[in-house]
Amino acid sequence: MILPTPEQKEQWEEEGYLVFEDAIQGEDLNRLQSAFDYWADACKAEWLDRVEAGEAVATFYDLPNPFEKDPIFIDIVDYPSYYGALMDFTDHDLIILAPQVRTVAPWPVSYTGWHPDVSQSNPLHIKVQIYVNDVEPGSGEFGFVPGSHKPDAGPYARPMRQESMPGHKTFPGKAGTAIMFNSCGWHVSMDNHSDGPRKSIILIYEKRTPGRIGPEQFASISAYCQTPERRKLFSLDG
Amino acid sequence: MPRIDAHLHVFTKASSEFPRETSDIWPAEREEPVEKLLDQMEKHQIDQAVLVQMAGASIANHRYLLHCLKAYPNRFLGIGLVPEGHPNPADHMAELTDNTGIIGFRFSTFGGPRDIFEKMDVRKFAAYPIWKFAAARDYVLWLYPNAINAHLLPYLIQEFPQVRVVLNHLAVCPGKGKFSWDEFGRPQIQVTGYNLTMHTTYRLARFENVNVHLSGQYAFSKEEFPYKDLAGWHHGLLSGFGAKRLMWATDFPWILEEPGYGKLTTVIEKLMPNLTESELADIMGGNAKRILRFPDL
Repeated sequence: MILPTPEQKEQWEEEGYLVFEDAIQGEDLNRLQSAFDYWADACKAEWLDRVEAGEAVATFYDLPNPFEKDPIFIDIVDYPSYYGALMDFTDHDLIILAPQVRTVAPWPVSYTGWHPDVSQSNPLHIKVQIYVNDVEPGSGEFGFVPGSHKPDAGPYARPMRQESMPGHKTFPGKAGTAIMFNSCGWHVSMDNHSDGPRKSIILIYEKRTPGRIGPEQFASISAYCQTPERRKLFSLDG
Repeated sequence: MPRIDAHLHVFTKASSEFPRETSDIWPAEREEPVEKLLDQMEKHQIDQAVLVQMAGASIANHRYLLHCLKAYPNRFLGIGLVPEGHPNPADHMAELTDNTGIIGFRFSTFGGPRDIFEKMDVRKFAAYPIWKFAAARDYVLWLYPNAINAHLLPYLIQEFPQVRVVLNHLAVCPGKGKFSWDEFGRPQIQVTGYNLTMHTTYRLARFENVNVHLSGQYAFSKEEFPYKDLAGWHHGLLSGFGAKRLMWATDFPWILEEPGYGKLTTVIEKLMPNLTESELADIMGGNAKRILRFPDL
């Protein structure tokens, strides 16, 4: 397990995020990209029908049940390049809540405005966003306000335009880059004015609290979770 | 400041003088005339209103609306319809707006690609000529987009930033097959628990020419008046669009029996109790007067 350096720990505490360049590379990245593209293509028609029926968001889509679609989506949950940091920050008591295997369309406006996901009273809630394709500036890159995760930060107001958020930082990156952030922090997807979709995976974690996730949640992938560590991560033993 | 009901419908019995389409809900003999509306407005201190055409898009179908606008020029402004696939929508729109009180037109489709991932060329959208003509004539576009059309809107809005846009009924975009009528004769729209429009129409707040109706709560809520389950939607629209771009409306006559016109005049203060007096006055009429240019009384 690769534990975070003192510098990374300090940045996590002070700024609320870490960037892992080339977190996933080589054959694993190829597997991830192939699985992503195959399943995004396979699921698109159904998603469009659901948009038409008013049952799904029109501006991005998430693969349904990605863990069941390809084991690479499971393998990235405890991927060595960032797993050690996740474990360290949660006192080695980490659970995965959900994956979002997300394709974001080019659109004049981002599909979301600046927001935190959880309040300070929530157990430590961490997201890891992994770019599956290269994400250039202006193509839906992640944005974060460093330090906004702290209890005494803010108050923040949601600006009309993404780029108007005071003190924000944007994170373009190459495929395989992973960005870890504290979900109390204000974050966003910047506008995607490019010609192509932004492909990324958002893994949602939390420090374990009793009963947060039941063993049935990920029972369908139990065969891929044979080690005690994985069973704990996926809450398979309650 | 006037109190203005910014979206409702009136119709009379179908006749050769006032021809209209009919349905189970508005059969030929049913009437919800302007006098009945004026009576409600009087009773509940509502000064002016926007009459929105229904039951047919032809010129002849608009006769009753034109009659009401002519009879009460200081009380009402009108919104018309354009027949789908009209070969020359500009002619139709021009004829209906020749000093008549009709200030704009209502649409729910835009004729662009169904798939947001396709290349978008706004000039190829079927609605492009309509928006172009609306921009040239300073019409208001009154929009209730189908769910599969919502993603097309910002392309048109960007192309025509001078066009005043009003998103109807909490900016909801109804899904195909999700429309029905309830036992009180009111439209019902089945919506998901998670508010999908946060990621489409709510995002249009960035465009200064886009405004939103606070209306139609009865059609989306799972609760009875005052529809507390929709308080979050109202808060979201207030925080995105601000109090200067929201307009209250009743959607008369569908609400006459339940919850009743009078109750609906209080729905905003019940769902948005933290509004200042001035914000409430804006939403209850000041914004409609300014944005739609209602005449002074």
